Amino acid sequence: MSLATKIGNITIRNPMILASGVLGTTYSTLNRMYEAGLGAVITKSIGAKSRAGNPNPSVFALNEIRSVINSVGLANPGYQIFREDIEILMKNSTPTIVSIFGENKEEFKEVLEGLKDLSVLAFELNFSCPNTEMGGAQIGTDPDLVYEIVKELRVKTKTPLWVKLTPNVSDVIEIASVAVKGGCDALVAINTLKAMVIDIHTKQPILGYKKGGLSGAAIKPIGIRYVYDLYEHFGDKIPLIGVGGIFRGEDIIEYLLAGASAVEIGTSLGVAYPENMIRFFQMKIKKYMKEQQFGSINEMTGGAHR
Amino acid sequence: MTKQTLPNDKPIMGKIVEKWEECFETYCFKIKLPVKVQGAKPGQFVMLWVPGEDEYPVGIAGLKDSILEVGIAKMGPGTEAMHKKGVGDLVGIRGFYGKSFTPPDDVNHLLIGGGFGMTPLKLLTETLMSTEKKQNIHVFEGARSEDRLMYLEWFRDLHNQGKINFHACTDDGSYGYQGFPTADLEIFLQESETPSVIYAAGPEKMMKAIFDLGRKFANVIDMQMSLADRYMRCGFGVCSSCVVDPTGWRICVDGPIFNTEKLEKISDFGVYKRIETGEKKRI
Repeated sequence: MSLATKIGNITIRNPMILASGVLGTTYSTLNRMYEAGLGAVITKSIGAKSRAGNPNPSVFALNEIRSVINSVGLANPGYQIFREDIEILMKNSTPTIVSIFGENKEEFKEVLEGLKDLSVLAFELNFSCPNTEMGGAQIGTDPDLVYEIVKELRVKTKTPLWVKLTPNVSDVIEIASVAVKGGCDALVAINTLKAMVIDIHTKQPILGYKKGGLSGAAIKPIGIRYVYDLYEHFGDKIPLIGVGGIFRGEDIIEYLLAGASAVEIGTSLGVAYPENMIRFFQMKIKKYMKEQQFGSINEMTGGAHR
Repeated sequence: MTKQTLPNDKPIMGKIVEKWEECFETYCFKIKLPVKVQGAKPGQFVMLWVPGEDEYPVGIAGLKDSILEVGIAKMGPGTEAMHKKGVGDLVGIRGFYGKSFTPPDDVNHLLIGGGFGMTPLKLLTETLMSTEKKQNIHVFEGARSEDRLMYLEWFRDLHNQGKINFHACTDDGSYGYQGFPTADLEIFLQESETPSVIYAAGPEKMMKAIFDLGRKFANVIDMQMSLADRYMRCGFGVCSSCVVDPTGWRICVDGPIFNTEKLEKISDFGVYKRIETGEKKRI
């Protein structure tokens, strides 16, 4: 029995990947999460120039629904500075996926050009951040733009390109199809859902940016549905990576059965001992595989469709 | 039912029931929480939301009967917005976050700090005084001038009652001796023949100086320092805005209190802190 999984032409030691935006500000947390047992890690989304992001409050928990709302808004130091962190990760042989974003096509190209010589596992194109005026979901909801960007980046690098989809569209298959047509190597679903919290006493939206994106347990059934729909449409033609609300090993198994080859985990690692969470996830997957007599992760992929 | 701590949740709205000017550009507030809660430990912090303005970490100075005490020094627009708040106004509280000071028994407790760092040290002093055993408590406070010494009257009263030894100093000599609080600390350590634990909070450069001093003395058995003066977003370990290199520890959950063993591993300590972009800046 092996936990290793294939995503297109890359293989990672297990299907658990650190989701972008969580614990990915610096090389040191990314190393820490890999050493804790994840299969690979994804950096915070990196853009062409440094960005302070949105004012605080920008992240808080919604305890009742085991979820988190955020409006960080792509805060990052810019690729030229963050490059040093990636270089340390490469030296440490940490399998790293770099999440990149741009306000437009040119910025996406600039970031990719600036980092493509590094031997990263893949680039994840963030077309789906809901917390910014330019770039992010405003790209991911426009099929023409998605196609154009993926196509242009495709010819610039041999490194796999993953496209992270926003759930905030009426037809995810349409966006996914143009990303595949443009030449991406995997689809990642889903990013956060548009959300908001208002304090009824002061009658004020709590987030500094007023509006935000929801992650955590509340969005898991939605993520499962997107992955299921994508697998139903594409089958084995394009690898899928499931993300959204993974809090237990069972949730990972559910995503795999829906059609994912791997999963990304984020919100649930915002605890005192993320290392223990990762150990529990791994134990549960192994136990299930043994009970169900699965020899590999890829055998489980799409199991709910048969 | 009284909860031991607040759940990690959206801000709960507390009402300001008391406000006073503690020292130069520093106001203290007592905030009545709408839930019965206890168990805030010295060194822990809350995220304070000034509605429509900003949210940032602040140290807990006290908690009694669900009334939270905080001290806010002027540091920028967010803290100025809080200074404009008055009795009856609502502010949001999330917490209690982070690890606390963990004082052992049978040592000299040497509390040292300056500015807003005196907030957690005030609660630590109270906690130490409330233990059954009589504790040997020394508080070393430094500031630029007398009007900037936080909780001066409070510490002085305790000193006069013989409950603590208060060592105050100012840069200009307007109160206490002229110089830095490390001077008196050094004299104490030179003369002391019993084990001591140093607890520090305040500007990180000052703490680094205290740390380097403490390492020279074999009678210092541990140092516990608060690195809470960092940019934070979430407060509970998910965003990593406050992470230190090369360990990957999050100040908000793996700290903000770190002991000697851990501080030695943090190469950023006293040298770099992160800004909103995630970039490191020299302290």
